[in-house]
Amino acid sequence: MTRVASCHCGKLRAICEGEPVRVSVCHCLECQKRTGSVFGVSARFPKEKVRAEGPARRYTRIADSGFKVTFDFCPSCGTTIHWHLDQFPDVTAVAVGCFADRDFPSPKHSVNERRKHAWVNIAAPVEHKD
Amino acid sequence: MATRTATCACGRLRVICEGEPSRVSVCHCHACQRRTGSVFGVAARYPADKVSIEGESTEHVRIGDEGNEIRFRFYPHCGSTVCWQMPAYADGIAVAVGAFADPGYTPHPARSIYNASRRHAWVDITAPVERRG
Repeated sequence: MTRVASCHCGKLRAICEGEPVRVSVCHCLECQKRTGSVFGVSARFPKEKVRAEGPARRYTRIADSGFKVTFDFCPSCGTTIHWHLDQFPDVTAVAVGCFADRDFPSPKHSVNERRKHAWVNIAAPVEHKD
Repeated sequence: MATRTATCACGRLRVICEGEPSRVSVCHCHACQRRTGSVFGVAARYPADKVSIEGESTEHVRIGDEGNEIRFRFYPHCGSTVCWQMPAYADGIAVAVGAFADPGYTPHPARSIYNASRRHAWVDITAPVERRG
């Protein structure tokens, strides 16, 4: 199966082959600021299964783990569509919303729940972590 | 009166909001999914005269479902969209609620838009919201 994630304006795309190896929600404050929503949702794919097309700009920050995370975003609209984690060098994390597909596999992990906004719950059968 | 500051991921674009928002809403549309990379957007509307914007920003214009221009502002070095303006709310500014980085942010959303047609089934909005579409 091939799925295409694209940014808000459509100029930056990530073409993903096969199934994600992990889908997770993160409620941390960094994900809240990056998305402007109240959590981020990521699907990790094996690195060789993701091919990016279009211009991208990079933003790097140090995660709580101490490892670097490098985000690729569209310079025209700002959407971050995928990122790379130095802690997990074999995968590319893709922003699930960029698939714009409500049938995308649901998350199995919900992390940093101590930062979760009280008005939203993750109804999938997930592993919940503070 | 409360002053709250919304920022981009790296903190260099700041939107300072005085007082309470006039409306907080969730939108599950495909454009909000793509813009955020999350599975919905959350917006707090403030009167324009209660908002000040500090720092560099790039504008992205999208034509909405009703043919109107929506003007989004994001920080060009980290990509976060912090606020936007639209003709339907001409005298105000919508601010991305996540950009406040405050899990205790109130008021909670009162509307959930494209709730039936676009919402991912695993998202449970528990606020007492009006659900549309």
